Amino acid sequence: MAFREKIAWLTLGTMLVAYGVYFGVVGPSVDFGARRMLDIVWTFGLVATAHAVAMIVGSIVIAVMATKEASARADERDRAITRRGATVGYYVLILGMILVGVVMPFTEPAWKIVNTALLAIVIAEAVCQIVVLLSYRRGWHG
Amino acid sequence: MAERRLTNTIRTLRFHAGEMTQAELGERIGVTRQTVAAIEQGKYSPTLETAFKIADVFGVRLDEVFQWGEGV
Repeated sequence: MAFREKIAWLTLGTMLVAYGVYFGVVGPSVDFGARRMLDIVWTFGLVATAHAVAMIVGSIVIAVMATKEASARADERDRAITRRGATVGYYVLILGMILVGVVMPFTEPAWKIVNTALLAIVIAEAVCQIVVLLSYRRGWHG
Repeated sequence: MAERRLTNTIRTLRFHAGEMTQAELGERIGVTRQTVAAIEQGKYSPTLETAFKIADVFGVRLDEVFQWGEGV
């Protein structure tokens, strides 16, 4: 498995766990900031920090195991696959931002808008990583 | 009508080049071993520049490495 494919698996896995915990456990425990908006900052901040730490540690472990490959620059296939993932993720993010920036302000309270925006970012990044992984697995002609 | 696709003879060319490894070929053309494997399996179509580099490594013409033919 390519070094960058392993990193994509790590990114997707840690994201799903971290933000699954936020949207499934930690967020509901503080009503997603419905009573106090600042609750969103410390709960999501905590989860995002844990995610960042897991990514750093995981990346170091993968890089140490890959040694030579980890120091190599992304080649043309890696770049083509990354572009494809980013393009698809971008459209998902745009849809999410239209929802939270254009539609929701007319009907929803601030805490819902903030959480939906965070969810849109997480979904867009997850879609990006899934497209990257599918491209590595099934092939992508750039 | 069968779909036409890009096929290649890289595996055969590597064999005739003293069983050159995918890693060695990748190193000489500036891509990873996994990318060489993907090209061989038809999972990735290389850029024109990389295609010429592959032909150059084996000392053959481009159309001896890549063919536009019937898919499997």
